[in-house]
Amino acid sequence: MILKVVFLLVSLFTVGSALMVVTHKNLFSSALFLVASFFGVAALYVLLEAEFLAVAQVLIYVGAIATLIIFAIMLTRGMMSGRTSPRNDQAAWAGLASVVLGLVLLYVVVFRVQWPVVEKPVPPDTIEQLGRALVGRYVVPFEVASVLLLAALVGAVLIAREKEV
Amino acid sequence: MTLNDVVLTPILPEAILLLTAILILLIDTFLGDKRWLTWIGLAGVVLAGVSAYRLALSEPVSFQGMAVSDHYTAFFRMVILTATALGLLVALNWLDAHGEQQGEYNALLLLAAIGMMLMAAATHLLTVFVALELLSLSLYILAGFERERATSAEAALKYLLLGAFSSAIFLYGMALMYAATGALDFAGIQQGATMSPLFLVAVGLLIVGFGFKVAAVPFHMWTPDVYQGAPTPITAFMSVGAKAAGFAAFVRLFVGVLGVEKVTWVPVLAALAVLTMTVGNLAALRQVSLKRMLAYSSIAHAGYVLVGLSAANSTGVAAVLFYLFAYAFMNIGAFAVVIALERQGEGDVTLSQVRGLAHTHPLLAGAMAIFMFSLTGIPPFAGFFGKLYLFQAAVQANLTWLALVGVLNSALSAYYYLNVTVQMYMAKEETPPRLHWRPVLGLVAAIGVLFVIAIGIFPQVWLGLAKLGMLALLG
Amino acid sequence: MVPLSWYLAVAAVLFVLGLFGVLSRRNAVAILMGVELMLNAVNINLLAFWRYTQPENVAGLVFAVIVLTVAAAEAAVGLALFIALYRLRESVNVDEIQLLKG
Repeated sequence: MILKVVFLLVSLFTVGSALMVVTHKNLFSSALFLVASFFGVAALYVLLEAEFLAVAQVLIYVGAIATLIIFAIMLTRGMMSGRTSPRNDQAAWAGLASVVLGLVLLYVVVFRVQWPVVEKPVPPDTIEQLGRALVGRYVVPFEVASVLLLAALVGAVLIAREKEV
Repeated sequence: MTLNDVVLTPILPEAILLLTAILILLIDTFLGDKRWLTWIGLAGVVLAGVSAYRLALSEPVSFQGMAVSDHYTAFFRMVILTATALGLLVALNWLDAHGEQQGEYNALLLLAAIGMMLMAAATHLLTVFVALELLSLSLYILAGFERERATSAEAALKYLLLGAFSSAIFLYGMALMYAATGALDFAGIQQGATMSPLFLVAVGLLIVGFGFKVAAVPFHMWTPDVYQGAPTPITAFMSVGAKAAGFAAFVRLFVGVLGVEKVTWVPVLAALAVLTMTVGNLAALRQVSLKRMLAYSSIAHAGYVLVGLSAANSTGVAAVLFYLFAYAFMNIGAFAVVIALERQGEGDVTLSQVRGLAHTHPLLAGAMAIFMFSLTGIPPFAGFFGKLYLFQAAVQANLTWLALVGVLNSALSAYYYLNVTVQMYMAKEETPPRLHWRPVLGLVAAIGVLFVIAIGIFPQVWLGLAKLGMLALLG
Repeated sequence: MVPLSWYLAVAAVLFVLGLFGVLSRRNAVAILMGVELMLNAVNINLLAFWRYTQPENVAGLVFAVIVLTVAAAEAAVGLALFIALYRLRESVNVDEIQLLKG
């Protein structure tokens, strides 16, 4: 019961922040709400007993991605003062499409599926298993991800560097 | 299992490309003449090709259920390595002339090629996802490679935002597929695939994701701007390589794995095919920039390939493979001619700029004419047989109407392809087109012509290879 | 225990909110924020399926870790491009990206 109340509070917080992210006029405030939403998602991970992912979520999403976004907003002057409307002219269509897709998704995942739920505890050595899986069975995606980071590193430096004359 | 038990053989070609890319990045610092980097890259591609060929001769090997090296993978390795080699070559002098970073260009191109080849080999949704991201991320950077040109950076940013957006949709589809079938690996998905509302939603989201990646209408809006804004050598490479990789995974997952439930997705793909062909061709008719015209034409060609995919039978799969191989030569060839006509800082090559090309540069104009004929689908060139097999497959699958739409579209496309030829041969212009003539571009055009004709004269040989690939998938 | 469908409902809402952000925003950074929300929704789904259907199989966790990594790489390149474009245009038009116009 308590768990359900906590879940509802966390969910409300997450979804509410997300709503502010996509509707707030000021970009900087949007970014701050994004941080709040990331924290909410991390809390959901804790409720799902995926503590490692919760920590990674805070480190990567809040620590890296959100910080990058805020940097980008502050480095590019004039973006925080809304000269133009933050929305494009398809906002109404976008809203309609999102609501329709949302209703379809909710209807299907909540009402149309009998989930085969197993009430099993999480094995205590999950993190160890995760580490083994990453360099064992899943070594191909793991290595490709590291190659991808190499590409991102080379690319980000190449693009953001001033061109020497 | 630990890392020591892992046998690298099934992904040796990819590993060779990775080592080559790292080698290029390392020696870039010391090397005086940067043009050597292209030749090192080519050497790596050739080595990867040799190892891919040797792998193709042996039995299919799976890398722990994540990726498989079978004849299907081998066929796409051939297509992608070809596109990579040509992509390296067309950029050789272009990079020199623009004073761009050669090391990064060559290395990123090879990294993109690794992602593309793994897309074809992937037998697990996770591998599909990381491979897709590797190729996309490398291409975003390459699209924004001309740093002093705002349209290049704009194209890259637009590509990245829509790419990330479509990846998110794609991932949601993967997560729901995991929920619907209880598995992420293709074998498990095949076992668990049963009709249910959840399964339908998952398939729908996956189609949207693939639709973005292969530029099918209505998910094509990024294509014209990105293809036009990106540096032309990159446009040539990605219009062939990224499309082949996208279709490789699309066909393996849908025809190979979800084939049992094909009633659910064939009508959707057939509708997409009609839209994609028609919208692509109609828009291409109106273009004056050659690059933008070829961008819309590449959308239309994705539509033709979707016809084969909608057929979802053995003929269709073989035809898709054959077509993607033939398309690599005709499209990169056409782009090589466009690059030869480009001049720095003067914007796109327009139709009026090719007027009278045949009188000043008969060989180049002849090559361009052959590529245009082949793209239209005029016999005896490669494109004709590609379309023939695709439409044949549609007829066999009782989709005769779809084949008819395809034929009508080919007739429509003849107008703008042949218009280029007419401009080159018929029109007289006082100021003949100025050329950025480079021997390497001539070599690429010559290779293109050679294969477009060779595939057209001996289509059975190449169709035989495509059928081997198909058999690996459909048994 | 909280029912599985509750988590999936939260993920679905988060996903369409992100979708709305991507489709309706004019500014590139705002669009990127929408994409990040969508990716978070995907990860909630993956972890919820892992926890409720097969907690002994770490496949869902591995997938979520990889999604996190890729999201970070994508954001880094995206913001580098954004800054490069800003430098070329000097604040003009950077925030006028219409994604769905061909």
